Amino acid sequence: MRLQDTFTFAGPRELVFELLLNPEVLVRALPGTRTLEKIDETTYQGEAQVRVGPMSGNFTMQVKIIDQHPPERFKMQIEGKSALGFVQGSATVELSQIGPEETAMHYQAEMQIGGKLAIVGQRLLDTVGKSMTKQSLENLSRELEKRLRARQ
Amino acid sequence: MKSPSIIGQPIKRLEDERLLTGQALFVDDVHLPTMLHAAFYRCEYAHARVNSLNLARARALPGVIAVYSAEDLGNYWQRAPLLVPPPPIPHAVFHARTHYPLAKDKVCYAGEPLAVIVAESRYLAEDAAQLIEAGLEPLAAAIDLEQALAAQAPRVHEDLESNLAAHIVQQKGNYQTAKRQAEVVIQRRFHYDRGTAAALENRGIVADWNARSQLMTIWDTTQAPIPIRNGLARMLGLAESQVHVIAPFIGGGFGPKIMMFYSEEMIIPWIALQLQRPVKWIEDRQENFFATTQERGQIHDAEMALTRDGKIIGVSDYFLHDNGAYNPYGLTVPINSQCTLLGSYRVPNYYSEFKAVFTNKPIVTPYRGAGRQHGVFVMERLLDIAAKQLGLDRVEIRRKNLLQPEEFPHNHEIIYQDFAPLIYDSGNYAPALARAAEMIGYEKFIQEEQPRLQAEGRHPGIGIVTYIEGTGIGPYEGARVTVESNGKVSLVTGVGTQGQGHYTSFAQIAAEQLGVEATDVRVVTGDTRQFHWGTGTFASRGAVVAGNACYAAARAVREKILKLAGTILQIPQTDLVLAQGKVFAKNDPTKTITLGDLALRANPLRGAVAPGTEPGLEATAYFGPDRGTTASGVHAMKIEVDPETMQIKILDYVVVHDCGKVLNPMILAGQIMGGVAQGIGNAYYEQLFFDDNGQLMNASFMDYLLPQADNVSRMRTEHFETPSPLNPLGVKGAGEAGAIPVGALFAQAIEDAFPQLDLEIREIPLSPNRLFELLQSAKSRIDDNARE
Repeated sequence: MRLQDTFTFAGPRELVFELLLNPEVLVRALPGTRTLEKIDETTYQGEAQVRVGPMSGNFTMQVKIIDQHPPERFKMQIEGKSALGFVQGSATVELSQIGPEETAMHYQAEMQIGGKLAIVGQRLLDTVGKSMTKQSLENLSRELEKRLRARQ
Repeated sequence: MKSPSIIGQPIKRLEDERLLTGQALFVDDVHLPTMLHAAFYRCEYAHARVNSLNLARARALPGVIAVYSAEDLGNYWQRAPLLVPPPPIPHAVFHARTHYPLAKDKVCYAGEPLAVIVAESRYLAEDAAQLIEAGLEPLAAAIDLEQALAAQAPRVHEDLESNLAAHIVQQKGNYQTAKRQAEVVIQRRFHYDRGTAAALENRGIVADWNARSQLMTIWDTTQAPIPIRNGLARMLGLAESQVHVIAPFIGGGFGPKIMMFYSEEMIIPWIALQLQRPVKWIEDRQENFFATTQERGQIHDAEMALTRDGKIIGVSDYFLHDNGAYNPYGLTVPINSQCTLLGSYRVPNYYSEFKAVFTNKPIVTPYRGAGRQHGVFVMERLLDIAAKQLGLDRVEIRRKNLLQPEEFPHNHEIIYQDFAPLIYDSGNYAPALARAAEMIGYEKFIQEEQPRLQAEGRHPGIGIVTYIEGTGIGPYEGARVTVESNGKVSLVTGVGTQGQGHYTSFAQIAAEQLGVEATDVRVVTGDTRQFHWGTGTFASRGAVVAGNACYAAARAVREKILKLAGTILQIPQTDLVLAQGKVFAKNDPTKTITLGDLALRANPLRGAVAPGTEPGLEATAYFGPDRGTTASGVHAMKIEVDPETMQIKILDYVVVHDCGKVLNPMILAGQIMGGVAQGIGNAYYEQLFFDDNGQLMNASFMDYLLPQADNVSRMRTEHFETPSPLNPLGVKGAGEAGAIPVGALFAQAIEDAFPQLDLEIREIPLSPNRLFELLQSAKSRIDDNARE
């Protein structure tokens, strides 16, 4: 599965970068996420409930941040496992400041999906992937707005 | 006076009452006290090294009785037997790599079992499967058939130098020399992709070890109960007489159930022995998509050399065959492709080379047609392309090349799947082609209907193709016929039944010999305690091989009846008539004795059975043909394609078929129609899609499209009878005939529906989507040409 798009945040790049790697923010922003902890400088671990069509499963996730260049870009390796199957792949995130209070995020993810998720859920995967990404980004956007308001 | 013929009558199936009223036993109907249930833990990766397997949490779940991995199987962990060794073809290369009961160090396709859980219920077993932790290291997978042969491709079996599983060359005449005389040479590449048989009933097995009787009873959805009994006895270290295999009613076989020994088949009886409790495993639909074998990935590079007037001088074909991860069934499928390609035609020179290739995909073994589709598709497509190029009519180019009656027996000088030379025993092809063209209204359609519909802006097409089907191969089957003291007849044979109507056809064969009604014959199949010699139901051989064994046994009983009756009635045997369940004198019908009384007299409580005679009215007989018999046929159909949705409406479908002597035309028509329905699925709806990592992407009926009632049209069938000289009944097989030529027929009819486009269909399966793409690219080719 491939996800690729651009999303615009109404906020400065440094703040967006910080939010994207803050487990306390992410645990609330990513749909279905129950726990998310930073276990070392570059590794996050957590659990998420994911629903694809008629199936739902509890995924244990591990995300490793590699090649981090704040506040410009980072790369991550993602691995998730559940009774429904597995997800593994990598994603790159690039942030560019397009105005004083506007940051464009370009993201690109290449995920390999296997098990029940792939064999039964195939035609839902794209939609589910996109809608989960959209929800996450919108949640982050709201969080950003909240923080900016708090600053004022 | 001869009793009226029962063979050839459209008798309604005798088994249907049991089937339709829910009285038939299927494997899942077997419920035994203390029975346990098994589930398999299967690998999700198509190719991975197994670094660790932690079963502790699964074992600890309450209700779980045992969990086994490959390590726990001890000496029982052996490769499955190679079922069919390679045929004796000179310079054949063949690497046998059969599967294991459970994978140990490495998994080679997604779905390969790593562990089995036995629990008080299937639910608990499935729950426990989720608690297994496997340390798997994913490896790059060999998925694409051509790339799998490349030097740098990931190797499925690392002890082999490459993924090459077999390399076979067979030839007749000299194609290269012949090609020099050709006036036209057609060269094309053809693709045929995978589908699944999707039998209504998935696989299942119940095993029960009885320590008191020291007897293992196994209910198995197999097409080959006797070889299963023999093989399992050997694996388990038991005598064959200690293993009782019952293949009860089965909801569809279609070939994947002749595959043996599946992992589950090897393991479940072993567990029953370990735990001393009955164990059941029933495959679920999702497992069926990868744990049951599949068919038909091949790529052909084919060439046909012809004269300008459309006579075939020679054919050359090089193809790759996708084996999947293991090859327990040897080379049956690609050999069938190689040997069926020549079809109904005179081909003086033939060069055929293939490579079978290991890939990280589920195992490939025969599925209805068993490789024959591919051969027919390539040959029929080459003829269509040649006809277009030469400006010949499609029926005409076929007619010109058909083998004529005087050319039989026709030796193709290559070796068939039964290891015997490919010799067509008999056939009469031209009248069948003419009749099919007449029934479908070929001329009228082309001259009147098609132009009229085209003028209305519609897309009508017609197709007509021929095929042959190698059937009824050896080695042998047997049957035992007994007249019981109630005057009824019992007939027992070793083959299994998966819906072919054996209970009726075999009854008809015996009834005709014994002067009783078919309803008076009680048939038993697929029970190794009732009859324990035989091979199984495959290669369209039931009617031919088991049928002729039934015939021979019934003949022998008939002799015994007449001999005994002659002695009792004091009338010469030649003056006796056997009819209506009794024997009577031709000239004096009052002198009579019933079959029941004769059976009692043949098995007396006092007096002696004379030396050289046997008690009872019973005989066992076997039939083993030297080689298979070749059936043939023609399919034709009219379609209309909706240019918006790409849906195909079949307006008429005709099958003219010749399988020698017809035993029961109603059952035969059912076989043909069922086959056509499966063929339609294969041609236009069903396809298994794998991603680059070997994940099957459509393992449910939501995404794997089986043809629905409205996709399968009514069919008109007609039968020609060219008897086979190879067996006393003169029969040929018919089980796969319906399915074989449908892909070729669809391709031709669809092309015909778009005459203005340069559309050439060189692949099956198609789908509405795929046809849309093909039409778009054909249209853009026309636009490009116009621009130039």
